[in-house]
Amino acid sequence: MKIDILQEIIEKKISKKRFAVLTNLMNGKSELFELGNQLSDDFKVHKKDIENYFSHKKNGIISETNIFIQNYTKPIEVIIVGAVHIAQYLIDFSKNLNLMITIIDPREYFTKKQKFQNVKIINEWPEKILKKIQTDNNYALITLTHDPKIDDSALQFALKNKFFYIGALGSKKTHDKRCKRLKEYGYTSEQINSIHGPIGLKLGGKSAPEIALSIISQLVLEINRLNV
Amino acid sequence: MRKLYELKIMEEAISWVKFNKKVVIATVINTWGSSPFEIGTKMIINEKGDFLGSVSGGCVEASVIEESLNLLKNKYLFKRLDFDVSDKNAWNYGLACGGSLSVYIEQIN
Repeated sequence: MKIDILQEIIEKKISKKRFAVLTNLMNGKSELFELGNQLSDDFKVHKKDIENYFSHKKNGIISETNIFIQNYTKPIEVIIVGAVHIAQYLIDFSKNLNLMITIIDPREYFTKKQKFQNVKIINEWPEKILKKIQTDNNYALITLTHDPKIDDSALQFALKNKFFYIGALGSKKTHDKRCKRLKEYGYTSEQINSIHGPIGLKLGGKSAPEIALSIISQLVLEINRLNV
Repeated sequence: MRKLYELKIMEEAISWVKFNKKVVIATVINTWGSSPFEIGTKMIINEKGDFLGSVSGGCVEASVIEESLNLLKNKYLFKRLDFDVSDKNAWNYGLACGGSLSVYIEQIN
């Protein structure tokens, strides 16, 4: 592999582009592929297969060819509402995963006095910030405040927009009340049931890191199940 | 899900090359059965035998390093390595997982 290609992979990875690297296993040549790009003569013949593997994010040797394709996907955007203790551990656990975290909390005390590293923190009400975001199936929402004043507007936004995962922290009782409120706002049972609540896989833990682990586990499970 | 660790490996590969080291990048290109790592997992090896990352969680790394050193010594640019549990050399590789995998090694030039 040419060092220039390696350099380009790194740059594209850092700038969070969606692309793939193609390698011809017979002659050792490789090149980058993005949708709409021209392919060189080494790969042109297999254009259809390459595009097919690319759109399905499928990695491997394209069947009946000598072309190896490796897809690089955009990191998953995780919006966390609530700069609470559990959020700290969510950041810890997500370090080696392909996740981009944004934390929103209108409470200045939580956002300004706490140290969060390598994440975007926004001190604002969720409804004000979220309406500026164009989401897609790469987005996840996690609400952690269990305060309806803060969480509900974020959840409503998520139900009306594209999110592959919506999870809300709170006990069974808190979640039942939440569902009831959403029903009164006019959301269907199907919409409401798409919220993972109480959030997380049942690991049985009660401490902040254990809860964070259960949330991250559920998120990873959904990412792999839905092939996000 | 792709991991950020790959970025560290690639950046390290570039820095090794900048320090005038010869570097081979190894990539898992195919797996069968219960191979532990997903396709695309990478490892880098330099001419001294230093390495970073892994392709199988310990089963075939020693062999990948040896093949990479041979690649550099013979000035070849790339090679495909197939490891199979039914291979007569299986014990050498010790594919305890019971799977098979193919690894593509290539020199960075």
